[in-house]
Amino acid sequence: MSMFRAKKLDLGCFTNVRILRDHSKRKAFEAAEPERQALRYIIRNTLLPARTRAIAQLQLTQMHCYTRPTQIRNRCILGGKGRGILRDFKMSRYNFRMQALEGNLPGVKKASW
Amino acid sequence: MSVPRARLLDLMRARCELFGTTFNPEGLRTGNKILRQRLKGPALASYYPRKLVTLRDFQREFEPLQLEVENEEEQDRLEHIAALKARGKGAPKKKREAGGGDKKKR
Repeated sequence: MSMFRAKKLDLGCFTNVRILRDHSKRKAFEAAEPERQALRYIIRNTLLPARTRAIAQLQLTQMHCYTRPTQIRNRCILGGKGRGILRDFKMSRYNFRMQALEGNLPGVKKASW
Repeated sequence: MSVPRARLLDLMRARCELFGTTFNPEGLRTGNKILRQRLKGPALASYYPRKLVTLRDFQREFEPLQLEVENEEEQDRLEHIAALKARGKGAPKKKREAGGGDKKKR
């Protein structure tokens, strides 16, 4: 959604629309996280009246989908791919291989025995 | 030998005071585990590397010193466009509508 997107490009890595979208989702989640946690607390607290908890449930479900943490997906910072990402290197497996063979990743070495 | 419940509760209360946890002997669901969780938003939002400095920032920094910073990519682009124009293959000028405003057709 365009209202979550930064007015000026603030990414230094490879950019395509999927990366932009994911980045906006991350920022939206960061902004809304305290509110989400507060609502989650109200919902989980069985000592509060049932009506309050039901209202909190409704509010949580009606928040924008971009503020949901499950919408966030790790993507490759070199090619934007969404599958086969090595979390430690934030890269897809092919880009990781290329960078590792070039020696751009400190401490990474091709195994041989 | 069995220990009376009241004594056990006292022990539990003392333990809670010591370790800063909430005293909840009935095991009621108070949602405290949500409050204990750390916020993970900052870690998630810093996944992609941010843009730090651009060439334009350099140009602005060096301007007061009467120094010029060359943007090679931009120059290449302008040269390419000039070459296209010289061959008559450049992009056409933007059409100006008679109405004056730029109405979008849907």
